[in-house]
Amino acid sequence: MSHTDPAQTKEKAMDTVTTVKSSRRRFAAAIAGVSATVFLAGCATNAPQDTFAPKGPNAKLIDDLQMIVFPIAGIVGVIVLALAGYIFLKFRDKGQEIPSQAHGKPFVEITLTVIPALILTVVGVFTFRGIFDLAETEDTELIINVTGQQWWWEYDYPVQADLGINQPIISSGQLVIPVGTKVLLRETSRDVIHSYWIPALNGKKDAVPGRIHLLRLEADKPGIYAGQCTEFCGLSHANMRMEAVALSKEDFATWVANQQKAYVPPAAGTLAAEGETTFINQCSRCHQVNGLKDANGKPIISAPDENVYSGAAPNLSHLMSRNTFAGAIFDLVNEECRADVWNAKSEEFGAKYLKGVSEECLNEKDLRAWLRNAPAMKPMYADPTKLEPTGGKYRGMPNLGLTEDDIDKLVAYLLTLK
Amino acid sequence: MFTPGSKYFVGLTGLSLVSAVLYMILVNPSDMGAYALFGLVLSGGLVAGFSFFTRDGDADTAADAVEASSYAPANSFWPLVFALGIAVVLLGLVTHPIVFVLGIAVLVGGGVEWTVQSWAERASADGSYNGYVRHRAIGALDYPGLATVVLGVIAYLFSRIMLTASKSGAAVIFIIVAAAVLVLGFAFALKPSLRGKATALTVTVGMLALAVAGIASALSGERPELAEYAEAKHYDKSHRECGEEEGKYYDHEANNTVSLRSAVLATVFVEDGKVRAQMIGLKKDVDTITIQRANSTNILFRNLDEEDHRLVVNLGTEVVAETGVKEKVGTCTQLTGQNQEQVLTVNIPKPSSDEQVYSFTVPGAEGEIKVVVP
Repeated sequence: MSHTDPAQTKEKAMDTVTTVKSSRRRFAAAIAGVSATVFLAGCATNAPQDTFAPKGPNAKLIDDLQMIVFPIAGIVGVIVLALAGYIFLKFRDKGQEIPSQAHGKPFVEITLTVIPALILTVVGVFTFRGIFDLAETEDTELIINVTGQQWWWEYDYPVQADLGINQPIISSGQLVIPVGTKVLLRETSRDVIHSYWIPALNGKKDAVPGRIHLLRLEADKPGIYAGQCTEFCGLSHANMRMEAVALSKEDFATWVANQQKAYVPPAAGTLAAEGETTFINQCSRCHQVNGLKDANGKPIISAPDENVYSGAAPNLSHLMSRNTFAGAIFDLVNEECRADVWNAKSEEFGAKYLKGVSEECLNEKDLRAWLRNAPAMKPMYADPTKLEPTGGKYRGMPNLGLTEDDIDKLVAYLLTLK
Repeated sequence: MFTPGSKYFVGLTGLSLVSAVLYMILVNPSDMGAYALFGLVLSGGLVAGFSFFTRDGDADTAADAVEASSYAPANSFWPLVFALGIAVVLLGLVTHPIVFVLGIAVLVGGGVEWTVQSWAERASADGSYNGYVRHRAIGALDYPGLATVVLGVIAYLFSRIMLTASKSGAAVIFIIVAAAVLVLGFAFALKPSLRGKATALTVTVGMLALAVAGIASALSGERPELAEYAEAKHYDKSHRECGEEEGKYYDHEANNTVSLRSAVLATVFVEDGKVRAQMIGLKKDVDTITIQRANSTNILFRNLDEEDHRLVVNLGTEVVAETGVKEKVGTCTQLTGQNQEQVLTVNIPKPSSDEQVYSFTVPGAEGEIKVVVP
């Protein structure tokens, strides 16, 4: 038989109480820390994907709806949580007898059914009106096909003569639209489901293989609006970004005209001319540059469908008119030039953007690194020894094993694709 | 040494051998008669050998005799089924694979049943008990197996009738048979006293009628247009007509209902003999449709004309590797009637260019819609 020292027992009990209090304190501190972080995140000044900062009528419509629904939901949430907390504390088990159990209180039941029904009706009216307004397509002024694939977005502008688009324009990374114009995106996908979302301009819409989903965009002012794929689509989902560039109508017409300009080969004997040959040998299997011809004058048609799982690789015609590359995760312009464009006043923005990427502004570091070893820059299924599941086709750009000399030539050539 | 039974077969084998040799010398050494006589030699020798080694099935000892008498063999038709299976398998080898497979099924089914029955008969000297053992082992499969065979025969015979009757006649027959089944079902459900003999009589008469009509239909062949379909290789996957109508029936089989309107890129119309198009989301006619490269794209075709039309996508030309000849590439919908529609799915891996021109056309209608692939 063992004897227990009362002093020791008391001490142990005190230790236990202290431990419990300490762990509670730590838990409360953790909760407070997370809450403060979340709360303070709302104060971020550089938040280009802010959901509560609409820059066009469609996003404004959603924002207006949020302004109605969130307070209502918040008030209901607080009331329910407060009541639940009160009941939890007031009627917690303290060893008391179970109170009398009553069934059937018609007044309470009807009240608790009617009130939520009324709240939902009010919310529903506004929500449905918003949904139908967002689905409106009758007054579309510009159509753009948007095609998602792992892990970049392709934009092609069908022929629309009234907007000066007399031959299709194809681009990637940046979607260029005119301000104050009702633009209709026709979204689809070449491989898996993606989702297109530019928070400042509208809600998100899935891009589904075999289907065409419509999404209306409209920007109030010139500028760049950032977005991101919001449907998990594989390894580099987080690196599948997009930017919408809004230009004044005049600037958009200039952009359209520039995109339709014929290909101008680099002057013979230059480094860029050597780069063109390197491009033809190393890159044109997948990447199309419209107008590029081989030594016999025959147009070079890329065959991404033979090499890439999705069947497509970015068309690099007029590459240097864009500010981004590789699924918009890298800038083609350096930080200084980027800041100059992003922070430009509305009236100056178009001119600065349309300058494109000059030699001085080129973000050569990232571009060279990408050409040197693309899979090291962005996770992709580009290991040639592991392509069995995709029938020998890449998902992403492989390491081409280019020499520094090749890279010099290619950079010089790509700079000519204005 | 020789048992009485084996002597007969040894004699038969010897006689066959002499006959075969004489036949080969005097008549023909390599015709069917010689093969038949040698077959007789082999089979006679085989049976003689069995008979010799099993001593005509006589018991060797008293104990063997007691054990043998304890078996209670019942009458069995499974050996007959097994033999039928062999015959059908052999027939299948020289006629059609389906017959061969059918023979295998009969062979396996008969063999399993025969084996199980033989096994059950060794259980005791009581025939009824042995029957119970057999039923417990395999009885659960008897009715489903039999039902499958009967249903298969009914389905086959009924299909022959439906394929022989005219289209409208087949519909009438189907309605009458369905109505008869429904009425009889009601009658039997409401009047239980009708069951028994009345059911047996109805089923017997029905099966006989079905058998007679089915066999007669099978002998007379399918109705004329089905025969023409087969002759024109209508069911051949390569069958495709994208120009002016040639086939008599092919295109009239089109379904003309579309359920994927939300997934079409553009709609091509034919109206007053002219082709026009609209892209989704743009409520005006266009003369060019831009289609994403290397992506399956649906184009809706709607015929507003009185005449039947089809939509054709022309995808330039390509050299056929086998022949080295440049041939047109493209595909088309089936014929589409007035106010009906079909979808054409295209996937174009290469961009359009001056050398590679793509378009949508409708044979018999004016105009074309240019297809641009960036």
